Amino acid sequence: MDPSSTTALVDLVHRAQRGDEPAQREIIISYQHRVAGFVYAMTGRSDSVEDLAQQVFIKMIRAINGLQAPAQFESWLFRLARNTCIDHLRRQKLRRIFLPFAPEHEDVPEPSGAVDTEELDALRYAISQLRPQDRALLALVQEGRSHAEIAETLKTSVAAVKARLHRAREQLRQHYQSDHET
Amino acid sequence: MKPENEAWSQLREWAAAQLPPNFADRVLRAARAGVDAAPSLLSQFALGAATAAICFLTVAFFQARGAHEEDNRTIADWQQIASAADDSGLSQ
Repeated sequence: MDPSSTTALVDLVHRAQRGDEPAQREIIISYQHRVAGFVYAMTGRSDSVEDLAQQVFIKMIRAINGLQAPAQFESWLFRLARNTCIDHLRRQKLRRIFLPFAPEHEDVPEPSGAVDTEELDALRYAISQLRPQDRALLALVQEGRSHAEIAETLKTSVAAVKARLHRAREQLRQHYQSDHET
Repeated sequence: MKPENEAWSQLREWAAAQLPPNFADRVLRAARAGVDAAPSLLSQFALGAATAAICFLTVAFFQARGAHEEDNRTIADWQQIASAADDSGLSQ
């Protein structure tokens, strides 16, 4: 089933809200890769992806009954993902203060893999130079969220989103090009 | 921006590869088992503040009780001294 079809998505969400486990599983399978990509863009650490993605989907299962507009499921899910990642980054920041030498704070280089390319390394570096709020903004745009949806998620105006997006893209491009050319 | 768009696709592909094949089943098992998502920062601060408040109240309670007992002992000692002084005054 292609969840991008709104009617099918609404039906799937309704079934999940009634506690239908196969429907919940289908939602997870349909969105897990996109959520994983979003989490990785926010945190920059592959060792955080599985744990945070799991947290996002557990929160989704527990809170889905409160979703009044199933057609807005995707915006709602990525809002959950963004908030989960922001909370995680804040906790990490606090832990750095109290446990400065903990192993999770070491800058461990990302393990190499089948999709290792210069472009990917350059993008990883560029994203890591941005503030978490700007990473979230760019990741939401990459997920196909409209400016209006992003404004709703961030509780701000569409004009503010456009301005911040423009600045974030400029910064990303500068860091991407500086790393890509070295 | 084209190389960056390709890089974003690669980034998603890389992140997706970090999930195990049975990820959905693991999530559902964890949700059924009541495994909590990580507590929010606010709830952690609230727990810390509540713990600190309980510690403070406990220390204040025992401090006050200890001071009260000390006062009672001091009063008893002075009463004893005063009583002894009265006795010696009477005896003279």
